[in-house]
Amino acid sequence: MNEILESLQRCVERGKVNIKSPYPPDMKGQEGADELAKKALEMGVAPQDVLSKALIVGMQNVGVRFRNKEIFVPDVLMAAKAMAAAMVHLKPFFKSDELKHKGTIVIGTVLGDLHDIGKKLVSMVIEGSGWEVVDLGTDVSPDKFLKAVDEHPGCVVGLSALLTTTMVNMETTVQHIKSKHPAIKVIIGGAPVTEEFATKIGADHYSPDPQGAVEFLNTRCTPN
Amino acid sequence: MLEFPTPETVSFYPSFQELAIDRTIVERDLGYRKTPAPEIVRQLIDEILPEVSLRLTIQCGFCILPPDFVSLSNDGLLCGEIQISTGPIIASQLKKLKTVAVFVSTAGPLLEQWSQQLMADGDMMKGYLVDSIGSEIADRASEWLEKRVAEHVAPRRWAMTNRYSPGYCDWPVTDQQKLFSFLPPRFCGISLTPSSLMIPIKSLSGIIGLGPDVARGAFQCSICDLKDCFRRMDESEFATEQR
Repeated sequence: MNEILESLQRCVERGKVNIKSPYPPDMKGQEGADELAKKALEMGVAPQDVLSKALIVGMQNVGVRFRNKEIFVPDVLMAAKAMAAAMVHLKPFFKSDELKHKGTIVIGTVLGDLHDIGKKLVSMVIEGSGWEVVDLGTDVSPDKFLKAVDEHPGCVVGLSALLTTTMVNMETTVQHIKSKHPAIKVIIGGAPVTEEFATKIGADHYSPDPQGAVEFLNTRCTPN
Repeated sequence: MLEFPTPETVSFYPSFQELAIDRTIVERDLGYRKTPAPEIVRQLIDEILPEVSLRLTIQCGFCILPPDFVSLSNDGLLCGEIQISTGPIIASQLKKLKTVAVFVSTAGPLLEQWSQQLMADGDMMKGYLVDSIGSEIADRASEWLEKRVAEHVAPRRWAMTNRYSPGYCDWPVTDQQKLFSFLPPRFCGISLTPSSLMIPIKSLSGIIGLGPDVARGAFQCSICDLKDCFRRMDESEFATEQR
């Protein structure tokens, strides 16, 4: 049983989506995350174990290697694709409440900023760590963030900005959210953002990489 | 208010081929500098590059401000009555300038539309690769433009500094609004949002110091404090790049 979970974890780490996928070349013709997740469930492995002992561990290793600059964005995207292929088989268990997300994060790029890719990447890694991600997209107004927080009680909020001119809108957004929901935790990130800035605007955390956000979520944010 | 004379303004439409972007360059941009990119990424880049050339409207141009209206100030430059606050790091590189060329370059809107569409359709990888290639095109077009600026000022026996852009080395991005005030409206098809984001997004703007006594800096990243910049190179990487 452990063997199949280890193989599944390896598929996520290496970005092996399914048996047809030619990548990575040394795993050509082998079953991928898609087949192995299905097979593990058919063998009676608990959905929670498939998620936490294979998929989340695999994605966590990917996040750490990305942080250490051992792998790059395309590698993370391939891992996320493999993860998504496996998650298809777990979806029914989320619907039936047999599986639960660790919590919900509402994420978006702040008002005035149209940069999307960094935020999407962070979303994928967070999702791969077992959190539900509600992606509001780009150019998101403080009101839209607040509305999403109202709709997802107990969520965490993630703000992204790539410009020094738009990162000031993070402050407005944090204030807007915390004025109504002081206990909601807000994490921020983006090229010009620093820890000092996060402290100054009253955000709860700054992370320079996706894995840092995951670690904060897993250790400091109470699941809803 | 001082009347600002009409500056010399020139624009170009370089071809994709002139920018000489190949797979190796894209791989390097993606981070694969010491190890090769995975084969699937290399294959995808090879597939995408020919398609990219069909979805480009590369434009770039510059305007040289009249020398009488440009002087150094404590925090940067004074152009007529407009203070350009480049900050001390860039200002120190502009010493002895006679004037500046304000420049822009863009890959055009089609490429980013394609990238966004790919991602919306669920192909994050291809969308991301197209996006990265777009960034490289905007950058290379600026590099190509530097050579045109050099040719333009050569008869005056002027030299050039490196190019510097708002957002780097403590130069506020908001100053982009001031730079654009020197350019014709929608110069090279580029406009600015109120938050100083250039549309198309895959665009660059900045200045190049000009004059008989200015000089290029050896290694630009060493003076910049954007430590997490995705284009940041160490000195050996920079040397390889210049070969």
